[in-house]
Formats: sequence, C-alpha cells, structure tokens
Amino acid sequence: MPENSTLPRFAVLQLSGCAGCEVSLINASEWVDQYQLVYMPLVVSTHAVPEDTEVLLVSGGVRNDEDIYNLRRAVEIVDRVVAVGTCAISGGVANLGDRDDVRAMFMAGQDRHHLPHLLPKSHPVDSFVNVDLYLPGCPPTPELFMAALLDPENYQASGIVCGECGRKKLKDMRPQHLVGFQQGEVLPDICLINQGYLCVGSSVRGGCRAICTRPGHPCVGCRGPSDAYIEKESQVWFDRVQNVFERMTDIPPDEIRDALHSPQLSMFLFQFTDYADANRPPRPKEKVL
Amino acid sequence: MAILRFPLSRIEGHARVEMEVHDGQVMTAHFQAIEMRGFRYFMQGTSAEQMPVIVPRICGVCSTAHHVASVKALENIFDVEPPELAREIRELLLLGQLIQNQATSLFIFTMPDRVGASSLFHMDESEADPDHQLSLARRSLKVRQVGTNLITLAGGQFIHPVKAVIGGVTSGIQREPAEAMLKDIEALLPVACELFDAYWEMSMAMGERIGTWGDDQPAYYIASTGRTRPRLDSDTLRVLGPDGVERASFPPRLFRSYLDYEDTAYSYAGQTSYQGQVMRANSLARMNLALSMGTPLADGYLEKLTHTFGKPAHPILLFDLCRGIELVYAFERALEILAKDLDYEDTEVPYTLKDGEGYGLVEAPRGPLIHHYIVTDGLVREAEFVIPTVHNMLAIERALKVAGERYISPEAINLELEKAVGRVVRAFDPCIACATQ
Repeated sequence: MPENSTLPRFAVLQLSGCAGCEVSLINASEWVDQYQLVYMPLVVSTHAVPEDTEVLLVSGGVRNDEDIYNLRRAVEIVDRVVAVGTCAISGGVANLGDRDDVRAMFMAGQDRHHLPHLLPKSHPVDSFVNVDLYLPGCPPTPELFMAALLDPENYQASGIVCGECGRKKLKDMRPQHLVGFQQGEVLPDICLINQGYLCVGSSVRGGCRAICTRPGHPCVGCRGPSDAYIEKESQVWFDRVQNVFERMTDIPPDEIRDALHSPQLSMFLFQFTDYADANRPPRPKEKVL
Repeated sequence: MAILRFPLSRIEGHARVEMEVHDGQVMTAHFQAIEMRGFRYFMQGTSAEQMPVIVPRICGVCSTAHHVASVKALENIFDVEPPELAREIRELLLLGQLIQNQATSLFIFTMPDRVGASSLFHMDESEADPDHQLSLARRSLKVRQVGTNLITLAGGQFIHPVKAVIGGVTSGIQREPAEAMLKDIEALLPVACELFDAYWEMSMAMGERIGTWGDDQPAYYIASTGRTRPRLDSDTLRVLGPDGVERASFPPRLFRSYLDYEDTAYSYAGQTSYQGQVMRANSLARMNLALSMGTPLADGYLEKLTHTFGKPAHPILLFDLCRGIELVYAFERALEILAKDLDYEDTEVPYTLKDGEGYGLVEAPRGPLIHHYIVTDGLVREAEFVIPTVHNMLAIERALKVAGERYISPEAINLELEKAVGRVVRAFDPCIACATQ
C-alpha cells in the first residue's frame, strides 16, 4: 500500500457520473498490494494524471467540454485505457436525457457561462478516444475490477445472468400479464419471468453474480448484452428477450414489445447510446469483460 | 482584482472554489459545482415503479438514501404502508450507508489532512505494529467495508440497492448471513472505536497546530432525526436556532414554507437558507439536535463531545468528530436489528397505482433528503430532489470566506490557505453529484 516505485501505476479519471464505480473499486481492496494508485480525485489529492502511468480507468460519461479535455489529455499519457461502467461505455442512466424535449429544458434552464459547458447529450468515452478494454456494469463488481486490472485475458464468467441466478424456471407457471411489484410478495427460488416480472437476465452478460435477481429484483441489464448479441444490432437483442417471454409465458406479445420499447424502461436507458451519430463499428466482444 | 481558484479533491463529485480578492480583501468566496447530468429533467416520463432502481444512480455514494427516499415518496402517493420487516431492512440499509459514508469521510477524505498525506493509500505506515494489528489504513478500510457489506446484505446490489420496492422489500435476510454479519460487526466495533479515538486525538492536535477550528460562528441547524435516538426514516424535519432552541418542526411537504431556495449563476447547484439565515445540515446538525443516541458507546462519545465543546457547538471541524459518533452508533444499532428474526415471509403488501403527489424523507448521512414526485397514469410527471448538500452551501461559503480572510493580507497570501480550503470543504462532506444531479 505505501508508495512503491516497482508496482505498476494506474489512474482513475472521473468524468460526469455518480462515483459508484469508484466506490466499487475501493471496495475491491486487493489491488493495493499489486498496483499503485497515482490519480483518482475522489481519494487522492493530485490534480493531473502523472507521467509513467500504465493503466487509465475512465468512469462516467462525457457530459461537458471539460470532460472532453481531461479525457484527451489523460489518454496521451497512458499505455492502456479501460472504459469502466455503463456511463463510460454506453451513456448509462444519464443517457435518458437524450430526448429533444428534455434537452430543450435542460439547455435553457441550466447552462452557465463561467463553468464547463454542458454538451447537448452524454457521450460514451469511445466517441472521443480509443478504448482497449470495456468493463460494463452499473457499477462493475469488485471482482470484475480485479479481473480488469490483473488478468483480463483469462477471466471467465457465466455467459448470461441466468447462469448465476439459481432461480428455477418452471414449465407450468405461465403468467398472463406483466405484473411488477403491485402483486406484493416475490416468491423465493422461482424464476422472476414465471412470476411476471420483466427480467432480461436471459440475454445479459454474466459476471455480476446475479446480485439483483437472487434477492428478488428483475435484471435491468446493466452489464449489457451477452457475447451472443453484443456485436449485433439492438433489435436482435430485443427479439431474443421477446422470444424468451413468448416461450415461457402467456403474456400477449404486444404487451412485452411495448414494455421493452418504452423509452423510460431502465433496461433501455442502461444501454443504447450506441453510435447513432458516429458511424463506428460495434464493440468487439474480445474487448468486453 | 485577482481571482484565486482552488481545485478540490477527496470530496464526492466535481467542484472548485473561487475567491475574488481586491487589495487583500476577500470580496467573495464561491463554492462551485461544475458538473450536472439533469435527473430532474430526464426522470419526467419514467414509470413510477422504476424510480427506486434508477434514482440511486444520482450518486454512488448516497445511493441507498435515494433508493429509500424514492420508495417512501411513491408509498406516500399510493397510500401504502410497508410491513414492519420492510422497515427494519430499510433501516439496516440506511445504517450501512451511514457506516460506509462516515468511514469514507473520516478515513479516506479527511484523515490524510491530519497526517499530511495526499491519500489514505499513500500514508506512511512505519509506525504501525505489523505483528499485532493491521495498519491504520488497512483497519480503516475494514471498518468501512462493514457498511458496504451491510448494504449488500440488506439491499441486494452493493452500490445501487434494489431490495426496497413500493410496499416493502423483495426479500428478508436469512439467519445464516445475518449471523455472519453480526460476528463481523462485533469484531470490528472495537476497531472502529480505536480508530475514532485516534482520529479524535489527531484532530485536537491539528486544532492546536494551526490555531483554528475554522468557521466557529453560530448557525441554524436542520435535521430529521429523533431527539433521543437517531431515526433515519422519520417524517419530520426540525430546525434548531443558533442558541440551541428548536425553531421549527415540519413535514417534508411543507418545506417550501420554511426553507428558501435560490439558483446561483456561478454553480450548477443552488443554495437554501432558513428564512434568509445560514443553515447547516449533516452530522453536527444531528448531534446538536440529539439529546442522546440510545446506544451505550455512542452515548459516551456524545457526552464527551458535549462536555468538551458545549451544546449547541459551532466549530466546523466538529462535523468530523460527530461523524465518528455516528459511525459507532450505526455499528451498535445494526447489532440490535440483526439480532432479530428478519427471515419471515411478510415482506411486501400489494398496492394499486393512482395519480397524486408525494414526498419521501430520509436522513441521509449528509442531512435530510426529500424526494418529491407528481405521478399521473403510473408515470412520473415531475420529480424534485431536495438535497442536503444544498442546505450547506451558504455555510460552506461563509466558512471559506473566513479562511480566506485569515490567510490573505494586502501583502501576501499564506499558502496554508490551499490546505485550509480543503479542510473547510471536507468538514461539510458535500456531495456534488447529488447537489446538481
């Protein structure tokens, strides 16, 4: 933990986000013997990424002009750039602001002259710089942070969240409608889809230990699509979720489709910043942990 | 006129301080929030049921407080009362948040100031005894970890909890993990006390060395905790006058009648006052409003504080000591709750959607947090977040001006000012991600 020049040096650049990724990193304390933390404003009083820094973790979305400047300056110094968390990778929750009505209110009500200027929307990090590794999650678990820092090549996780959940899928329990929490109790040990919850864990990448679904909350997809869908268009992912529900429930297909395509659904807002205005190829699955 | 600009670190979020200086006089001291994402705008149109899982993302440090405040606001609209088990699990969540936050503020944000290090991860550990105990930094992280583990146990997800839902919680806590958590907390409670004692000593030493405890002027105080024990989910805010007399007590739906809010042109965060007067929220406000803590060790520390500094006490660096008292309280209170049966089935009650307006109040580590929603057809039409840090803005700026005046003269600027600015801001433990959303 004390300063030791032989340990590899890493820095954490916080753009516009909630600091949840940083808190998760602090929760993973194993790195303190293997890495030297040289820059992370949340916990260290240094005001720039120092020379000789090997790894840069970037969290948060690019939301103002100072974010762009800090990002471009920091990546020049380091050998390897890791985009951490859903905001940095695909816009995250803040990307829900990417609607014309919201943008109009926001820019009219909130721009300030002598402060960093807000951009019209939140951008993913790779809209501006090249990224070597993506570490999705809102936030990524401490284990994922350790894997990203120490041995990303050999990291193995379940392909999908269902593989880590352990709830039983029942053939004879077929809900007629999506019900949400209005029904009261969540039954333990039984698949949330069987209980009428809009859970998308069946096609969301594993590695989170199913920490939401096991205690009874449907997966909202914060880790993004599994390897099977990550290089495809978002519609393929939607179709996959739709198919799972049609196979396991008697919920009318239109009801599922409407729910999945609701722009305010948290699953949606976790993922689809995409490259609508940038014309970039999809992120290759080899680069996504 | 010159403008001095101080970048800030070891606080939550992006902020800086600007002082305008003319002829050695500090004209203004501005605390500027320099980021914003816009939750109050983009939450419009969100399904009400999704709010408790979205709003924790306002802040990864204060996530649990937002999670519970959101659920309370929606329960207020849908007119549903959660069962007792749900209340207890939510209290555990808020205690986990209190432990994590106070340990982070004490050990990661402010302890480096006491020992002259740039961070907890760069502290000189040569004085630690490797044979008998973990070093100061490692012990601090272990104590902090109790909060994180408690949030995970009671909230499911470890940063952005998911278990509180409208009408209750999704599941209880089984006996086995509850017992394991109990043992952990029991083992680390003495460690937390030792660290706090050491921190108290370091703080007193610092007070003598630099000859100041910061801005010691009296102020108004606001909190929503109980008088004889800290209730983190009460439905009443209280305001204490600078003389220690309680001036007001009101439910969250009446906050506009008591608090004045203003936007500022130089920051993405606004500021509130108590009818034009400087007000303080956070740990010192709660300790000034508390007659007792209701747990033995925390009560001992509260008595020591009152005996040493009086009541109400105003020096701003006491915020840090009050956080230590609350850290100990949260350990003790968590032990009480975890000893109960938390595994029975009565976790949730059903509810039906209806249109309406509601308020959800919790005492977050940084002060009273209010979520205010208007819901129509199951969707959020308007969302308002009344953030504790915003209540502290005027007090922070007043303290910064005091620091500026102390270290700036017509002849010179004492470079100790840069450190003083950091200490002043960190005493209030502001959260910029929350203040601007």
